[in-house]
Amino acid sequence: MELRDIVSGSRPVRIPPDATVADALVAMAENRTDFVIVDRTGIDDAYGIIFRWDIVVGPIADGATLSKLPALSCARKPVVVMHNLDLDIRWVAKKMANENVSKIMVFEGENFLGSVSDIDILKAVAAAGSGNDKQEGS
Amino acid sequence: MEINRLSLRDVVKTFELPTISPEAPVLEAINKMLEAKCYTILVPRAGPHDAYGILTKRDIISKVIAEGKDPAKAKVKEFMSKPLVLLTNLSLDLRWVANAMANSRVSTIAVFEKGDFYGYVTESCVIDGIYHAMRRAKIEEGVEFVSC
Repeated sequence: MELRDIVSGSRPVRIPPDATVADALVAMAENRTDFVIVDRTGIDDAYGIIFRWDIVVGPIADGATLSKLPALSCARKPVVVMHNLDLDIRWVAKKMANENVSKIMVFEGENFLGSVSDIDILKAVAAAGSGNDKQEGS
Repeated sequence: MEINRLSLRDVVKTFELPTISPEAPVLEAINKMLEAKCYTILVPRAGPHDAYGILTKRDIISKVIAEGKDPAKAKVKEFMSKPLVLLTNLSLDLRWVANAMANSRVSTIAVFEKGDFYGYVTESCVIDGIYHAMRRAKIEEGVEFVSC
């Protein structure tokens, strides 16, 4: 199974670059999502991404005031992206493991196609009924 | 918003996690996760002198699928984390719950009270707990709660 088979075309929730951590938390809770995209300020800027985990182990663990702290202070930037739609999902999983993320944004050329999550991979594996016992690099 | 008014007791989930045998294939764990829409599975202990284990979606992604192992053949016991990360003080400030997750690098912590399994807390519980506290605070102030 390949990346193109599991990519989801739904648009991720986005917050402006000047949003606070509290804004990010509210956006996640209200949209029932575990991540938000932080918009870029211009064409020469990169998009950021914030996972629930980033808020919990950063600002909350530090006891910060969430309504005063910029969201970008706990964002991962730039977002992890993939372009090769023919890639086997094993390598998508490997990318998630290497980058320590559970979501990857997918582009085809300059066009945003959607995102892929760790749960999308689990669903694909369950549907296939078994994994891909392949050799490295095959 | 004062998140330090929240404690572990305010956010802990008290329903039980799905369980799976350590000898079961990882594919069975994936199916249980998807069926229950719960991406953490508890592995029961063999007896009072044994420890509980836990298997998360992250374990499956990074240790099984990313390594090219076959989930139909790989066994849960090879990839689970054991023993569990535990908290026992239900009055613990939420900040220290978050610190426990950060220090242990785990997103699910089991909660025991007086030696018995009480429930568990995840990063999602922490976020939702703070969100609801923010809503309550705004309602008490008479301010309409508007998200960004």
